Amino acid sequence: MKKWQIFKQGVLDELPLQLGVFPFGIIYGVMAIESGLTFLQALLMSSIIFGGASQIAFVQLLSNSTPFGIVVTTVGAINSRHLLYSISMVEYLNKLSISWRVILAYLLTDEAYAVSIRKFINHSNNFILHYHLLGSGITLFVSWQISTLFGILIGDDLPEFLDLQFIIPLTFIAIIVPMIKSKSTLLTVITAGILALIFKNLDINFWIILSGLFGILVGIVSNRLDKKL
Amino acid sequence: MIWSLIILCGVITFLIRFIPISGIISSNLPLFVKQSFKYIPLAVLTPIIVNDLSIIENKNFFIIENFKLYAALIAILVAIIWNNVLATISIGMASFLIMSNF
Repeated sequence: MKKWQIFKQGVLDELPLQLGVFPFGIIYGVMAIESGLTFLQALLMSSIIFGGASQIAFVQLLSNSTPFGIVVTTVGAINSRHLLYSISMVEYLNKLSISWRVILAYLLTDEAYAVSIRKFINHSNNFILHYHLLGSGITLFVSWQISTLFGILIGDDLPEFLDLQFIIPLTFIAIIVPMIKSKSTLLTVITAGILALIFKNLDINFWIILSGLFGILVGIVSNRLDKKL
Repeated sequence: MIWSLIILCGVITFLIRFIPISGIISSNLPLFVKQSFKYIPLAVLTPIIVNDLSIIENKNFFIIENFKLYAALIAILVAIIWNNVLATISIGMASFLIMSNF
């Protein structure tokens, strides 16, 4: 496959997710203006931070006059899961030039990672796979900027198609279910899922990465135990 | 002040995504780290899915009329049977819309 074809495949794989991303971007735009941000601040935050959930938390905290230190910590906590995404891609990306790595790191968000890691795992001996992540990342970036702009412009008149956001977890389901191939991967999912419910309700800031780390640990331990038996 | 706050959050977010692939970490990673790779997508995306299903709302369990939860279970079945992304999304979304509108 040529570079262009892989890039295009990244774009196409990412496209269905945009039905869910779009309402999410609109909600952020509306909330950002309501929180008192200016047009430019609301719009440019989407390219400076480029992390949906963390941007929504940012503007929510801002409306509640939260101290800036807490805003920064919360944004960091919400985006800390991307550290794991990046770690899992070291093997695929560490031979690329520094400019490539900077661009791909910037584009490494949930929705782009989810579709591209599936590709990476299934075709790990292909050396131009990073074009797939570039395609999925750029698609998400463009749609995030446009939907943010929409939200800023329509103000507080929230559209009725917000239910479409449900497409995001559905896509994640479509991506992870085929990855559950053994007892250890199943245990990872069960552990991370249950702990997420518990940690989130204990109001622990780092609930995603924390439940994820426990899930990984349980997966590794169970895998080792199985091999010893 | 708001601008510096936005930029600081942007820099932190970028560093979180960049540091592991920056070259600081050697590619000769210890075995247990390499073994953990295959669990990462599962371990991080599962909490996001679970959260999006709103199983606990305001500290109360929300299960009986939780159409998202049922639709997600249908989607999981579709994914197991067909292993097809578009089929999973469309059937999951259709079941959710049907359940919540009728």
